[in-house]
Amino acid sequence: MKKFGIISGIGFFWVMWITPFPFEVPKGFPPPVYQFQHNPRSKQGFELGRKLFYDGKLSRDGNFPCSSCHQQFAAFATYEHRLSHGFNNKLSFRNAPGLFNLAWEQEMHWDGGINHIEVQPLAPLLDPHEMAEDLNQIIGKLKNDRAYPALFNQTFGSPGINSQRILKALAQFTASLVSADTKYDRVKRGEAQFNQYEKTGFEIFQQKCARCHQEPLFTDLSYRNTGMEADSTLKDYGRMRITGRKEDSLKFRVPSLRNVFLTFPYGHDGRFTTISEVLEHYNTGIVQSPTLDSSLRKGITITENDRFYLISFLGTLTDSSFIKNPLYSDPQMGVRDLPPEDIH
Amino acid sequence: MLLKTSSLFTMVFFLLMTSFQKADPGPDSTMILHFSLYVHGAPLVLNKKYKNPFGEIFEISRFRFYAGKIAPIYTDGGLKTNPSSAYHLIDFSDSASTHIELPVKGGSCNEIQFQLGIDSIDQSRGAQTGALDPVKGMFWTWNSGYQSFKIEGVSPVSDQPSHMLAYHIGGYRYPYSTVWKFKLSSDRIIRISKEDKILVEIPLELDYFFDGPNPLHIKEISACTTPGELARKLSENFISSFTGLTHTPSP
Repeated sequence: MKKFGIISGIGFFWVMWITPFPFEVPKGFPPPVYQFQHNPRSKQGFELGRKLFYDGKLSRDGNFPCSSCHQQFAAFATYEHRLSHGFNNKLSFRNAPGLFNLAWEQEMHWDGGINHIEVQPLAPLLDPHEMAEDLNQIIGKLKNDRAYPALFNQTFGSPGINSQRILKALAQFTASLVSADTKYDRVKRGEAQFNQYEKTGFEIFQQKCARCHQEPLFTDLSYRNTGMEADSTLKDYGRMRITGRKEDSLKFRVPSLRNVFLTFPYGHDGRFTTISEVLEHYNTGIVQSPTLDSSLRKGITITENDRFYLISFLGTLTDSSFIKNPLYSDPQMGVRDLPPEDIH
Repeated sequence: MLLKTSSLFTMVFFLLMTSFQKADPGPDSTMILHFSLYVHGAPLVLNKKYKNPFGEIFEISRFRFYAGKIAPIYTDGGLKTNPSSAYHLIDFSDSASTHIELPVKGGSCNEIQFQLGIDSIDQSRGAQTGALDPVKGMFWTWNSGYQSFKIEGVSPVSDQPSHMLAYHIGGYRYPYSTVWKFKLSSDRIIRISKEDKILVEIPLELDYFFDGPNPLHIKEISACTTPGELARKLSENFISSFTGLTHTPSP
């Protein structure tokens, strides 16, 4: 009883101290899966997560913050890279996806291997091809930092840095990355109109693509074999790696098409450089296999005209206010308008 | 500001509520569960050479598993309290971790129920701490989930680098779950009264891990580090290594 009283007392002062930061669900979006249960969103928690996201300290040699592969100007994908660079000149295993609207995803990664947004960072943090660090090392570096101990104290209401707090702070930032202000969204809200090309493209899109790339997230979050042969060096069979089931061979998560102009190259291994190549794959490149998605047995007929209109429409899915939102930018550097020259 | 004011009221309300609440009668006694690891019926010493029932030489350097949802089953009507929701990481290189203190109600019992591994609900709760902190080295990062148990060592017949043994067994999804809820029985009635702490030993016999429902020859299988059919089979062997309860009445 006494213990409860003391805890509520501390809780009370903490509630007075932190600044609530309510999450707004964009108009027309379904309720998010992650609702900051057990991780109440606060301005302090969001800012701490943002600082961690951009901090090289989380990687073994200091050179690979989360933001090294998730760049805001590329909608938090890796700009112009099939695979991303990691520790000790290693390449990652898959193409880095853009990070946005993650609060709507129960599972993450191309194979859905991650079962909760809060534990996702453990994969890149510990992967020897990516950030290559050890959790205790990270905790030690943050404890010895001048700024972090106070920031963790302010966010969580008591001193201490542990893996749970690091992960919860990161989730406050990553789950807050909402992209819902594209021309498409403005058209839906009645604030803008598609031009004739975009309008025709949207109609073709609804007939030929929307079965898997469902609005408003532009993905149905399912796993499908889209007729891409396994790369002979990567030997990546997708979802089967997670479930151990043959039926899941070569199935990968349907990616969102939001910000698709910014997230090239495309495909789980980045094999397609342009949107045209992806469309041509559906038109003539489907490789038959037992787990191929039933809707793709005959491919999808996409004419030259279709391609022109579809690309016009896909351009309306670019969220320029998202990639320039100072709230999501590097707290040290601010917003970058263009990819930096030394990107490679 | 509105939110802060309402939180203030909530806090005051809770403080008032708790001061009027009746105290829970609480547990009657404490059961101390002690996990111990045997090989050929004698306590296993880490990093010491043994032979398994198939004559293969091995030594064990690390042996850990998760136990949870523990509760005594009483002879007069099953469970008296909900099983504790806590999970415990039993690590035979850390003797303190092999003892679990469990608050229990009085009565007679001859069975204890518990769970090997972390069930699907608790596997998907996001960032956790305590026994489930990923720093404990039992969490798979690329295929989210806690391993149910981890056995490492060396054997001259292992074809792994440095002749390592690595049985990292996990997976909580159908049909290859390695999470098991089961009961262990004692041949004697365990009487729980207010006076004494009850000491119950839960032995594991490594011989049955090798010579279990799915015979494990090191020469054939010296590592398993992904969820799947093999992991599931080895988890069946693991639970068959629990031989029952040994209860020593306190002197």
